[in-house]
Amino acid sequence: MRLKATSVCRLAWLSVALAGLASIPSPGVAAAEANLKLEALLIWGTNDTRSSDPTHKPVTPEVQKKLQELPFKWTSYFVINRKVLEVAPRGLTKVSMSDKCDIQVKKLDNSTLEVSLFGKHEHVLKRTQALPKGETLVLGGNAPNATSWFVVLKQTEAAATAEPK
Amino acid sequence: MMDHDSQLKLQAWLDGELAAQEAAQFDERLAKDPEAQALLGELKMTRAVLAGFEAGVKLPEPPEFFWSKIRREIEREPGRVAPSRRASLLAGWRRWLASAGAMAAGMAAVMLIARSERGPATETSLADSGAFTYHDFAARTTLVWLSYPADNELARNDEADTVE
Repeated sequence: MRLKATSVCRLAWLSVALAGLASIPSPGVAAAEANLKLEALLIWGTNDTRSSDPTHKPVTPEVQKKLQELPFKWTSYFVINRKVLEVAPRGLTKVSMSDKCDIQVKKLDNSTLEVSLFGKHEHVLKRTQALPKGETLVLGGNAPNATSWFVVLKQTEAAATAEPK
Repeated sequence: MMDHDSQLKLQAWLDGELAAQEAAQFDERLAKDPEAQALLGELKMTRAVLAGFEAGVKLPEPPEFFWSKIRREIEREPGRVAPSRRASLLAGWRRWLASAGAMAAGMAAVMLIARSERGPATETSLADSGAFTYHDFAARTTLVWLSYPADNELARNDEADTVE
């Protein structure tokens, strides 16, 4: 019994020590910030197997899998537009995904972004989002005829370190 | 005076949920019981009024998405806690230490994870966007579903080229 109580005490102290250790800033935090390279896709979700617009290409299997993991009813996804954007540290980049859809990305730190969505040039959504490599941000909504639209945003590759000003 | 069970039975009779024999017995009672007749009239009137004002509910998201939210909330509910025994002072102290240790370990783990890779620091704003956030940890995907603009004003509305 006494041994168990001692073990619990040790666990508590170890945890406190770990918490203290975690609060010490790591050297990587102070590392030079790099530009962030992002891929933005405007996607149409439908149950039709093909799009009437020949410029609409099916999404890659990776994106298809990603969207199918979400609880949606659509079976086909077509890329309407694809943009690669590079955002400088604390920089702001705005791209037009369609006549009615623009997105604006501001880099807050190495992996945190402020993403704004504009519909018909009206500011619809502003969101602060950590988007490290491997994470995906999907914005979506309903479209006519029981279809849907999506804006899929993710990091593409490590971009070059920003040049010092 | 009708008791609660009789009132429920009356409602079941009105909804056609009683078995044939039981319904026949209730028919007899209804013929003789003015209180039951009054309640029946009231229930019928309420039903008619509700039916008249019943608005169609349109989900802002696909039904699968809606049900997934409900399922996740159900799964998130904690399991039953076993009834606790009367504990000695030492046992109480040990439990407190264990809880504190677990809590501290949890905090340490969260802080360590946060240092290596920041979690989604989510903040959704702007009124009327009707945004709903769904995070799939396994797929490392965050979904923000917007009920605004309704029916995709981001896209063109002609059928031939729905989204552009």
